[in-house]
Amino acid sequence: MLNRLIQTNPTISLTKASMRIWFRDRVAIFWTFFLPVVLISVFGLLDFGAFRTIDLGIVDRADNQTSRKLISDIRTLDAFDISDTASEAEERQALLDGDRNLVLIIEPGFGEDSSQNQRRVNVIYNQGQPKESSAGQSIIQSALDEITFAEGKLTDRYQIESQPVDSRNLRFIDFLLPGVVAMSIMQMGLFSVAFSFVQLKSKGILRRLQATPVLPASFIFAQVFTRLTVSILQTLVLIGLAVIAFNVQLEGNLLAVLLLALIGGGVFVSMGFAVSGFARTEDVAAPLANAIALPMMFLSGVFFPRDTMPDALQLVADYLPLSFLVDAIRSVAVDGQNVWSQWDNILGLIGWLSITFFISVRLFRWE
Amino acid sequence: MKLNPNPEIEPIIQVDGLRKSYSDLIAVNGVSFEVGSGEVFGILGPNGAGKTTTVEILEGMRSADSGKALVNGIDVQKDPRAVKKVIGIQLQSSAFFDRLNLSEILDVMASIYQKKIDASKLLDSVELADRAKSLFQELSGGQKQRFSVASTLVNDPVLLFLDEPTTGLDPQARRHMWELIKQFKLEGRTVLLTTHYMEEASELCDRVAIMDHGNIVAMDRPTALVDALIKRGFQKERVETKANLEDVFLDITGRELQD
Repeated sequence: MLNRLIQTNPTISLTKASMRIWFRDRVAIFWTFFLPVVLISVFGLLDFGAFRTIDLGIVDRADNQTSRKLISDIRTLDAFDISDTASEAEERQALLDGDRNLVLIIEPGFGEDSSQNQRRVNVIYNQGQPKESSAGQSIIQSALDEITFAEGKLTDRYQIESQPVDSRNLRFIDFLLPGVVAMSIMQMGLFSVAFSFVQLKSKGILRRLQATPVLPASFIFAQVFTRLTVSILQTLVLIGLAVIAFNVQLEGNLLAVLLLALIGGGVFVSMGFAVSGFARTEDVAAPLANAIALPMMFLSGVFFPRDTMPDALQLVADYLPLSFLVDAIRSVAVDGQNVWSQWDNILGLIGWLSITFFISVRLFRWE
Repeated sequence: MKLNPNPEIEPIIQVDGLRKSYSDLIAVNGVSFEVGSGEVFGILGPNGAGKTTTVEILEGMRSADSGKALVNGIDVQKDPRAVKKVIGIQLQSSAFFDRLNLSEILDVMASIYQKKIDASKLLDSVELADRAKSLFQELSGGQKQRFSVASTLVNDPVLLFLDEPTTGLDPQARRHMWELIKQFKLEGRTVLLTTHYMEEASELCDRVAIMDHGNIVAMDRPTALVDALIKRGFQKERVETKANLEDVFLDITGRELQD
């Protein structure tokens, strides 16, 4: 009797039908299962808690036994990412640029006699990073104390003379802005094209156009031109907002950034066409476009630097199209590099453009 | 079987031995016919008979496996674009850009043919003048059909392909569409239509071809086909009355378009 109840009860059969309908919806399954799995995997692989080393520049103008001992002691402490091959001028500049937390300068005659001058090292530090600066200075001081102790002259202690410097301290938003600009270009190119083009196909609008003498090239040019114009506007709006509301400094040439936006836009619009050529309907196009866009969003250095990722993953991530675009825009906008210095990223983008263009031409159908 | 109603005028469509099959199905099985300039020619047949495929080949929307198809003297397989420039195609389930209004759609389509048109005049000819600023999806079924026909006229075509032009229309709208088609004939255009409505074929077509399983099984003037059937001994079950239900409907609801 229970069996009969189950078979004829409208509530139960509606429930069964509803389950069937839901599990046949590929888009829903993607968002509900695949996406969170990807998110957890990505964040699981990355290790945000990893201790970041302090960037120390060393300029050894003494180059004697004592200075070399000091430096090798500091090395063994394993707390610093050391750079010691540059000149003092270069190290000072690096500190100003924010590429060093501290610079240690050992003057000539270090440790050679007991005068105050010879028992001192100069440390210039980034005053905008108090944690790293004070930690670094303590460590250097303890290395100096080791030498004091070894020499046995406890009254003539080796000391640090420190000097603060106003380095260029990048906030998260300075890092984030170019990433978000690149990401927006990707989303607009990929989703706008993939969705709207697939809709045109599935609604029969493309078929109606096929009945006219219009050339596919004319139609595609119209779509591409529109999207690229939007890319440029998007970039201007985002940069404008960041500069005006958040006081982000645009170090590089705005036109260079727009040029990169154009090239990047081209890559992702082309990718969008490839996806729409492959997918006949929206419920295939959507998960496909997302499956391409989401990993890139997380792995391309949009929200955090790629060097926090494990090496193997980083190797792959470095060649993603969004990575090239993010790096190029970041270098130009934040570091003030000129656009020609980005030839390697631009080359990467052009490579991707060629591949996706080829695929989209091969797969193009009116219906 | 009369192939060409007027041997002195060059036929506007010439089909010879057209063949098209898909992996498991022969859609068009060696079809040959001609359509004279200025004719209204109907292709009838059950679904799957091959009507749509034949018409798509003539429109340059599909390739044939073998056979010849000349439209307005042009080999449509070699130069489909040239054919598309001089014909108008009305697809059964038409769709248009969804964020342009009717006027804008007609202007874009005219520009594709490199022609300039008066969009409001064209809309007026299908009684849609007051909807020039509406979007396509805002129209009723009948209005969509009328707009679809209007969109086939932007290039002032010599030949119109109409696929089931009155399917889904109420009796008033159907009659209105018939008037439009008769008007096309008066303007000297040729019309090739497909339909499931025999009354429509009788009313409009100078000749019809009946297709089944990829072949043309009969082709002649509608009256001639009926006479031939009667000669074969056919007897209708019920005698025709002086009026039918459609006449009742039109009498009560009126002949004017409702939308």
